[in-house]
Formats: sequence, C-alpha cells, structure tokens
Amino acid sequence: MVYNNLLIFLSGTLLISTIVLVIKREFSGWIQAYRYQTIVLTIITVVIGYITNNWEIYVAATITFSLKALIVPRLLIKVTENISYDFKNETKPYLSIRTLLVGSAILVALSYFSTQQIRLGDDVIAMSFLPVSISLLLIGLLVMVGRKVTLNQIVGLLILENGLFLFVLSLTHGISLIIEIGIFIDILVGIVISSILIHRIGYTFDDINDVNQSHENLEYTEELD
Amino acid sequence: MSTEISAYPSSVLVGFIQFLIIIVLAPLLTGIMRRIKAITQKRIGSSIFQTYFDLLKLIRKDEVISEESSWIFRYSPWIIFSATLVVAFFIPILIPYPPFGLGFDIILLLGLFGLCRFFLMLAGLDVSSAFGGIGVSREMMTSSLLEPALFLVLFTLAVTYGSTNIYTIVSHAAEGSMMISASILFSLFGFFIIVMAETGKLPFDNPATHLELTMVHEAMVLEYSGKRLAVIELSQSIKQLVLMILFINFFIPWGLSTNFSPATMIGGLGIFLTKIITLGVLISYIESKVAKWRLFRIPDLIFLCMASGLMGMIFLYI
Repeated sequence: MVYNNLLIFLSGTLLISTIVLVIKREFSGWIQAYRYQTIVLTIITVVIGYITNNWEIYVAATITFSLKALIVPRLLIKVTENISYDFKNETKPYLSIRTLLVGSAILVALSYFSTQQIRLGDDVIAMSFLPVSISLLLIGLLVMVGRKVTLNQIVGLLILENGLFLFVLSLTHGISLIIEIGIFIDILVGIVISSILIHRIGYTFDDINDVNQSHENLEYTEELD
Repeated sequence: MSTEISAYPSSVLVGFIQFLIIIVLAPLLTGIMRRIKAITQKRIGSSIFQTYFDLLKLIRKDEVISEESSWIFRYSPWIIFSATLVVAFFIPILIPYPPFGLGFDIILLLGLFGLCRFFLMLAGLDVSSAFGGIGVSREMMTSSLLEPALFLVLFTLAVTYGSTNIYTIVSHAAEGSMMISASILFSLFGFFIIVMAETGKLPFDNPATHLELTMVHEAMVLEYSGKRLAVIELSQSIKQLVLMILFINFFIPWGLSTNFSPATMIGGLGIFLTKIITLGVLISYIESKVAKWRLFRIPDLIFLCMASGLMGMIFLYI
C-alpha cells in the first residue's frame, strides 16, 4: 500500500509522544506533553479519515483537537491554580520513572507481539494502529498504578482514553458520529466532575495546611508564655 | 566497500579537505551557538569568531601545572586531542566513501570517544582537587548510562541499514528517498538527546556557568591552563561538530554528493553547512527553553533514550 510507510511513521511518532508523557513528573509538564500527544492523535485521525474517505472522522478529529488539546488542559490548569506545588509534583511514585519507561517499552513489545497473532487481513490501518492503541491502553494503566499523587494519576486515565479512541477508530474505521459525540461528552463531563473534585481536594488540603500552621503558631505562643 | 575508488589521489585530497573543514569550522560552530544562545536571552553576545581569539590567547599564555600532578595530567590533553583528530579524519562530509581506503566502524568511534573520556576523567582525578573529583564522579555516572543508550540507538541504525560501517550507513541512508522504517524515527529521537548529553548542553550540563555545584565538564578541566586548556577546548568543539555531523548524515543525509565531481561536492557542502547551522540554532533554542535538571533526574532522560532505542529494535523485528 502507498500509505503503509506513513502510517507506521505516525504510529512511531505517537509512541514517542507517549513515552515523553510518561517521563513528566510535574503537573504542568505532563499537561503540555498531553497536548502534543493529542495533536499527534488528531493528525492520525485526519489521515485515517483521508484514507477511508469518511467525513465523520474529520468531525471526530476536530472535536478531539478542540476538546482534548484546548479545553481539557486549560480547564485542568485553571482548576489546579491554587493547589500547592507539593500536591502536583511526583516526588515518591510507587514505580520510579525509569521503571515506568522500561516497563512501557516492554508493554509496547508485548502488545505488538500479541496483535501479531490476530488475522486482520489486508487492513493497513488496523494493522498499524491496533498494536499502538493496545500499548497506549497498557501504558496508561501502568502509569495510573505507578503514580502516587492523585492529580498525576489522571495522566494514566487520559493516555488510556486516547488509546481507547484509537482502538475504536483503527478497528471500525469510524463508528457512527452520534456515538462518537456521546463519548466525547462523557469525557467532558468526567473531566468537569474530576476537576470539581480536584478543586475540593485543593481547598481541603489548603485548609489542612492552614490548621497545621495555626497549630504551630499556637504552640509557639504557648512556649513564649 | 568501494575500495577501488579510494585508489585515486583525488579521494585522499577530499579526505584532507574534510579533515580541514572539521578542524577549522568546529570553533566557529561553538561561537555561533553561543551567539544564538545570547540572542535568545536578550543579550548581544560576543562575536561568532570569539572562540578563535580565545584559543589564540590561551595558546600564547603561560601554563601553571600543579606540583602534585603526575604525567597523566600533562599528557592527557594530547591523548584526547589525537584521539579526536583520528575521529575527524574519518567523518564523511562531502561524500560517503572512505577517503583513505579504510572503513570506519561505529564501535571504533565510540571506543575513541571513550578513550578521550577516560583520560579526561583520569586527569580530573590526578590533581586531587575537590572539584575535579565532583566533576569526574558525575561524568562517570552519566557516561556509564549514556554508553548503553548510544549503543542501542546506533545498533538499531546499523541493523536497519545492514552495516556498522559509517560510510555504508550514510550512503544507504542517502540513497533512500525517505526514512525507510519507523525505527529510524526512534533512533533519531534517542540520538538527539544523546548529542545534547555528550556535548554538555543544558538539561545535562551547563558549560557557561562557573558555579562549582552545577558543572560537570568544566569541573574536570578546572586545573588546566594555557596550551593544554586550548587543546582540550578545541577537542571538545571538534567532538560536538563530529556528533552533529553524524546526526545529520545518519538521519537527514539528503543533498550529500554521491560522486567525485567538484560541482556536486561544492553544492553538497553548501547544503551541509545550511543543515549544520540550522541544527546548531535548533539546539541553542532548545537550550534556552529548558533549565538544568537535577543531577539525579538526568538518568530519567537517558532511560528515555534507552526506551526509545528498545522500541526501535522492536519495530525492526515485527
């Protein structure tokens, strides 16, 4: 096929942007990396739309870009403005970043190995993007398990979500637009709810900090007395 | 390969021209990158020829050598310089053919750079100053991690193009119309980070600083002065230029002349200069965007290269 080279190239780019997302430790860093990953995903979606000649996929690509590259990152940044840096920065993850990196490389190998067994015929899109989407799912799960800070566990969720999108797209070449839009609205609602929760968490933690400080002040004044 | 071509005296001449281009242009590239970095920081910066003046000044100056130092301290600049010059003789710029009839292997290149680093570290330890020790221990940590990453990335490249010989890799890469497989993309990504690390760019090392706590390369050469410092600085510039040339020749080799006609070679040289200056500007721009990373986070970046190389290997075998 003519597109074979381009498709493999794009899947490589998506994997690179995913592992760059994995090494980010702090909130603003991974938001930026997530934006880049989504842009690569949008390009892939547009290319799939061009190959299958399906206008609904172009709409899905537009929604992907505007929702995941513009709205969600801005929403998350705005909500977490007031949260102190300690709750955004991953200092002691359960799995260190290096383990995560080597683990995600192994997961990529695993997903390629396992999808080789499936007979996909001469479907170029599924052949090149199915293993990538499965490895995105697995990497997302690994990142979610490996991180300790609540805010940074969302990275895993978002990687996983991108993986799911690509999985559906590569196997079905565009499901019905209504279902697609429904999924996007689900994501938006999910992010809004989680951002409200984050807001509450930040609020509570700030309160705890305040309580601790006033406590210390109290002890100090007692000593003075 | 193509040893019969190298029987012509013109090929030896081309080899010497390539060697001279590397030696003469290396400080200029450093100067350009410093100037670009200064401009991105809203400074005017020194002239791009300042590095030549610095080298001339250092050569004219007297040397101070510690009484505690042994022969290692005195000879290692020359060992480093000669190893770097041997590398410079074999790097293809104008044509991807061995100019002196000898093939040049990637592993030999890594070995010669390893020799440079080994003697630099020994010289840093030899004078037993505190900063030398700090710099050497840091350099040992990063280099022991960088080398396997570099091997992985380069072996991906070697397996893709079917040889570890630099000339074969470059000529095969130049013949292809586009990157022939996605694993090249992974090794490009890994090799770029390694170039940044090996040349002491910002997330890894900041050569411009004189704060002892952050320097790596500078701490090792702190005791040198005069001629020996000039030699070490020149070999550092040559190493930087060589790595950037390899990056360009491996991953964006188009425009490289494939025959010995002077017209295409001069055109190829022009394209090459454009590419290398663009790469230098890109690297300085990236340098201005990032801050120095904490020392114990640097292995994360190097593991990123390793993961990238590993994925490149995976892409080759599926």
